[in-house]
Amino acid sequence: MNAATRPAAARRALVALAAVVALALGAALAWSLRAPSPPPRDASTLLAIALPDVDGVSQALEQWRGKLLVVNFWATWCAPCREEMPMFVKAQREHAGRGVQFVGIAIDEPGKVRQFARELDLNYPSLVGGYGAMELSKTLGNSVMALPFTVVVDRAGRIVHTQLGPLKPAVLDRLVAIDG
Amino acid sequence: MPKAARADSVRRVPRLAWTPVAYVGTLVGLVLALHVGPAAADLKLLPPEEAFRFAARALDTKTVEANFAIADGYYLYRDKTRFSLEPASPLIGADLPPGKVKEDPFFGRVETYRDRVVVRLTLSQPMAGRAVTLVAESQGCADAGVCYPPNRQKIELTLPASDGKPGPLLEATPARKRWFN
Repeated sequence: MNAATRPAAARRALVALAAVVALALGAALAWSLRAPSPPPRDASTLLAIALPDVDGVSQALEQWRGKLLVVNFWATWCAPCREEMPMFVKAQREHAGRGVQFVGIAIDEPGKVRQFARELDLNYPSLVGGYGAMELSKTLGNSVMALPFTVVVDRAGRIVHTQLGPLKPAVLDRLVAIDG
Repeated sequence: MPKAARADSVRRVPRLAWTPVAYVGTLVGLVLALHVGPAAADLKLLPPEEAFRFAARALDTKTVEANFAIADGYYLYRDKTRFSLEPASPLIGADLPPGKVKEDPFFGRVETYRDRVVVRLTLSQPMAGRAVTLVAESQGCADAGVCYPPNRQKIELTLPASDGKPGPLLEATPARKRWFN
């Protein structure tokens, strides 16, 4: 009896071990593929900030609470940022009636921001931030502190999307269509 | 779950009943990996100090060689690349090699560096045996569609004695390993 059961038992144990190892490896892989720091779901830290606009007037983000808010970190020295901004201008124009509000946060000098805003006919405010604004974007999920970085906050003040790199037009369309 | 109960259930499971469990375990693991991965990841990007690794060495009493090792898929702008010394001392020769010419829809004709760029810097006077800090300013982007803010990296160098050998190649702030962050 011993001779017959032992190999079977050993095999069972081995297979069980394989199952556990496979599950552990899968879980470890899943863990390692996760984004470095998932953004907080609540947008309070973002909405709590105030930054100067191009005229030097302090603007609190809180004033846009209740809107579907698209906050875009950008800079004039960032070509991919400049490339996607006409899409934001168009979306702002088309969806303003539905309470969609774009706000730029430029990691830049006010003069350059003002000039580019004029060139582009920017129809939404762009605030001016420094390194502190970059640090803020890091807490929201911009792990490598690069631009563009975009955060979408729904009308209930929850972060529903963060994007490092350009927003895909289809993703933007889906986001600005959010009703809640 | 109590250990005793587990052991008991293992003993009563018929032969080979664990095989499906192994399959399911593997499957669950894979699904976890595939599901959690793409959902969270935007772009897989390097932090700037790893994308643009700055190193330098002193060649002789008045020459320093600076270089950037640029990761595949990343580039630096030539006109945003600058070198200086601390304490302030003029660099008379800081000839940046020509870059790859690119017609940028926004910035016009720009030159970019990829892979590696080596720059020879000549001090205005010999500084045998003296310690200096070489400061590099650079700004670059990734082909994936992001740009990094202008970056300052520093390396402390000691210039060799008049009859001395070139100094070792020194790297700016060693790139940190980031397994889980």
